[in-house]
Amino acid sequence: MIETKNLIKTYANGDLETHVLRGIDLHVKEGEFIVIMGRSGAGKSTLLYQMSLLDEPTSGDVVIDGHSTREMSDAEEVLFRLQKFGYVFQDYALLPELTALENVVLPLIMQGLSKREANIKADAALTRVGLGERLHNIPSRLSGGEQQRVSIARAIAHEPKILFADEPTANLDNESSDVVMDIFKELHKAGQTIVMVTHEERCAKLAEKIIKIDDGRIVSVTENGRGEFL
Amino acid sequence: MFSKYALNTRIGFFLAVRHLRRASIWTTGLIVFVMVLTFLNLVVVSGILVGLIQGAVDQVRYEFTGDVIISALDDKKYIENSPNLITLIRSLPEVEAISPRYSEGATLEANYKTRKETDKPNTTGTQIFGIDPRNEDIVTGLSKSVTEGAYLAPGDYDQVIVGQFLLSQYVPVDDPNFAALDNVEVGSKIRITIGEVTREVTVKGIIKSKVDALTRNVFMADSQFRSMIGRTDGNVDQIAMLLKEGVDPALVRDKLKLSGADQFAKVQTFEDAQPKFLKDIIDTFSMLGTAFSSIGLVVASITIFIVVFINAITRRKYIGIMKGIGIEGGAIELSYVFQSIFYALLGSVIGLVLVYGFLVPFVASHPINFPFSDGILVAPLDLTFFRVGLLVTATIIAGYIPAWMIIRKNTLDSILGRN
Repeated sequence: MIETKNLIKTYANGDLETHVLRGIDLHVKEGEFIVIMGRSGAGKSTLLYQMSLLDEPTSGDVVIDGHSTREMSDAEEVLFRLQKFGYVFQDYALLPELTALENVVLPLIMQGLSKREANIKADAALTRVGLGERLHNIPSRLSGGEQQRVSIARAIAHEPKILFADEPTANLDNESSDVVMDIFKELHKAGQTIVMVTHEERCAKLAEKIIKIDDGRIVSVTENGRGEFL
Repeated sequence: MFSKYALNTRIGFFLAVRHLRRASIWTTGLIVFVMVLTFLNLVVVSGILVGLIQGAVDQVRYEFTGDVIISALDDKKYIENSPNLITLIRSLPEVEAISPRYSEGATLEANYKTRKETDKPNTTGTQIFGIDPRNEDIVTGLSKSVTEGAYLAPGDYDQVIVGQFLLSQYVPVDDPNFAALDNVEVGSKIRITIGEVTREVTVKGIIKSKVDALTRNVFMADSQFRSMIGRTDGNVDQIAMLLKEGVDPALVRDKLKLSGADQFAKVQTFEDAQPKFLKDIIDTFSMLGTAFSSIGLVVASITIFIVVFINAITRRKYIGIMKGIGIEGGAIELSYVFQSIFYALLGSVIGLVLVYGFLVPFVASHPINFPFSDGILVAPLDLTFFRVGLLVTATIIAGYIPAWMIIRKNTLDSILGRN
């Protein structure tokens, strides 16, 4: 479903070059729940940004459903992100002046849905994450866990092919983390493909494949508890 | 279902409405206040500048020329065939009233009884108008300008009303080139000499006005004036016409010209009769007003630019997130454009209410007391709406540019707050 081919990302600052990804080859199958782990600065978030088309690799390719994204225009990438992907960010990334419902409705309207259709879908997504009663609250009136659930609702409302999550529980207490991870578990059970970056072992346990990276390289892939060092 | 542009517009509007609804009322109030001030600067500054001249023009119209003024041809002493012309004018349905006037140059002399042989005569030159006091008052309201003594009555004999600037006590500067009569007040006797004819008259009233034609001239009853100048053929020198309300003076002028009136007289609207310098001053002041207004417009544009720039830069992360989740940059730009339009329109609407609901009627009833005119606020609707258009356009540009600058930055850099 999504495949990275010799993905390299290098940041240049004058003469100084920082190699963040040093040739990542990775394959995510439909319906898989993959967790990317690694120490801080290992390149896990950078990998997620390349896979989710939020950033362009220095070289290599991201192939989605057999289509190379290398030659995609900016407009095509925006459309791709809108229609095929869902994003959950570490700091929730909700628009502060929009209510929970409006935050979820926004990308649905951008997809061309009527206001009524968008509201129905957004309502359903928020209900699915347990926020059916808090549709009209603005983010500042919601707890961190609730905000992250709104963020998840926004990411799944349009039924994306892949859900990308970048440290979704990093800012949450244990209780809220458990609620959020339960939602991911449910989503995965329903067939949602998920690629998540986390540094929390207990979150990683939910995944069927754990990819550990260090210094821009995959150092191990663990499937269903069976570790394999590369 | 929706085209890309329609979707961008829809999202832009959606975001703008939410942003405005939940923005700080103080911030919104301040921006709208700046817009109102800009609007007032655009409309009122030039309106007052033009209005102080327009006030003078209006005063000449309402106090001297009337809506249409007919005068002798340049090479004629008076309007030939006046009785027929007056009959023609009176037959026009658009005409409310007319005031035929006689006019001659004259010399006034005061203090002649007390003057010694060696004293310089106390004289001044002027123009004397012979009027029917009742008709003149209907057309120009001359009686209202007589602020000392009394206005003329139709039967007044040997009585005149005198413009204030013919009397030295009212002349603000002691100009040796500008002769005025000393020690003359209401009830004083003065001598009028027209050609070979001299007559002693009594000053019945003094005219105070900002219209030179009133303040530098003398008026007396036409019956007596005719006898002084020896004109018995009914030919007059001027005819001031008051038209019915709403009648375009140019229409009546053209009608009279079509009837052949211009063979015997100059037929002019009050505007035609304005001296060229006055028209030039109006154009100059209008230009000055436009220049001042343009500065205001630039200031308002910069204000909006700064407001939107700060807003966009502090929301750069959210802009990045929106782009990240698939919202088009164009939609986000449009949201800022809609916000700018809102500020400009709200500012303009409040400005319009202030100008037309308060300032114009207030200044009309309490004209600004300029030395040479009662200034009014000239704010023609078409020009005002043109300026609203200018303000909105300038604001749209000022709102779009900073939004465009922020939105074109790299999406991930915006999300992560990287420069």
